[in-house]
Amino acid sequence: MTPAGPAIVAVRTSFVLAVILTIQLGIVPRIAIFGVHGDLMLLVAVAAGVAAGPDRGATIAFASGLAYDLNLHMPFGLSALTYALVAYGVGLLQHSVLRAAWWIPVATAAVASVVGVILYGVLGTVVGEDLVSLSLLKIALIVGFLNLIAAPVVVPALQWATGSADGARTRAVYR
Amino acid sequence: MALSRRTGGRSRITLALLVLTSLAALTLDSRDAGIVRGARNTAGAVFSPLKGVGEAVSEPFTNAWHGITDYGDVRGENDRLRERIAELEGQEVLNADAAQQLEELTAQLDLAWIGAIEPVRARVVAGPASNFAETIEIGKGSSHGIKVGMAVVNGAGLVGKVVQVSDHRSTVQLITDPGFAVGIRLPNGLTGTARGQGRGKELIVDTNLAPDGDDTPKVDTAMVTSGIDRSAFPADIPVARVKTTREASGGLTVDLVVRPMADTERLAFVTVLLQEPG
Repeated sequence: MTPAGPAIVAVRTSFVLAVILTIQLGIVPRIAIFGVHGDLMLLVAVAAGVAAGPDRGATIAFASGLAYDLNLHMPFGLSALTYALVAYGVGLLQHSVLRAAWWIPVATAAVASVVGVILYGVLGTVVGEDLVSLSLLKIALIVGFLNLIAAPVVVPALQWATGSADGARTRAVYR
Repeated sequence: MALSRRTGGRSRITLALLVLTSLAALTLDSRDAGIVRGARNTAGAVFSPLKGVGEAVSEPFTNAWHGITDYGDVRGENDRLRERIAELEGQEVLNADAAQQLEELTAQLDLAWIGAIEPVRARVVAGPASNFAETIEIGKGSSHGIKVGMAVVNGAGLVGKVVQVSDHRSTVQLITDPGFAVGIRLPNGLTGTARGQGRGKELIVDTNLAPDGDDTPKVDTAMVTSGIDRSAFPADIPVARVKTTREASGGLTVDLVVRPMADTERLAFVTVLLQEPG
């Protein structure tokens, strides 16, 4: 299959980001466990790292974080910074691991979500939000669990959007 | 190998640029730059109708989810309510008296809090959008006269303040948000600033009181908004009650640990006071 061109990738990615952001803002806050809900935008960042590697993945994650930040009453740029770092790390990891099993991206999404929430709390504290406490661990674990459930949908959506599903075979030959 | 080294170098440069851009955004936000406020207002206006659609579509699913996750709580609450109904049926006469007293009290409280300020009652349509933001969304906005900075109350006391407004929705920063601060006054005239500490936590009031002073307020002493000049809130809105005291860092003064009057985790309706902050 011919890989999608940059314009098509940009349109697809913007569309997926807009849909997931709407779901995150309108639906996800109403589905909570112990008062904690999932973080689909963080999952988008992780999935972008999985699907598009460290370079493009971090850029997509940054955009998703910035869009989320616009809708939160939290420091503007905090999600963007956190998500870009998480996507970069996941992208590096992804490049060093052969995608032999379907569950690897899903498990990566769960673990990276836990790490992402903790990183958000730490960076938030650095910019004066005082987010580090015992409840941060609770939030991280629940977000990791909820994102694990959503990952089988979100990761393929990002793979389709970024064209990595089309080009996976080509890249495998490159390696 | 050469290709991967080049790719690695490019991705590091990309990451560095993204980090720098994030830091620039954080700096702009900390200085309350107009560009960030404008972008937030635009995003609020764009996503507000989409959120409404999302909520309407998801209503049956979220109800089912609550049925599953809150089953134990609902069952326990049902048992408690049955017990309560039985009690209330046996105390009908007392209840009638209590209702009359409540009506009178409410009238007095309304007079004390609101005075001539026009109130707008609004339904809470969404909880916090993030696990860290202590905000709620209400179903009324600028088309009802709501503006940024206005105080939000419920029957118990101060709930928070409006921080973002679109045509038909507003975002309210809750009193428990770590970034929330309100000037308070105690019955003995002492003033201070109460600051939020996060979800489910008490507020902290910094005072100038000495640790062994006589004028330290007793447990359960109520405090209200001070309403001093240029205050963001009207005067005399109940804020919190003293739970305990603790030494401030340095040990020269005491901080009050206070329980908010309003239960910010169970809000269904709130009232926005249409008075612009001073």
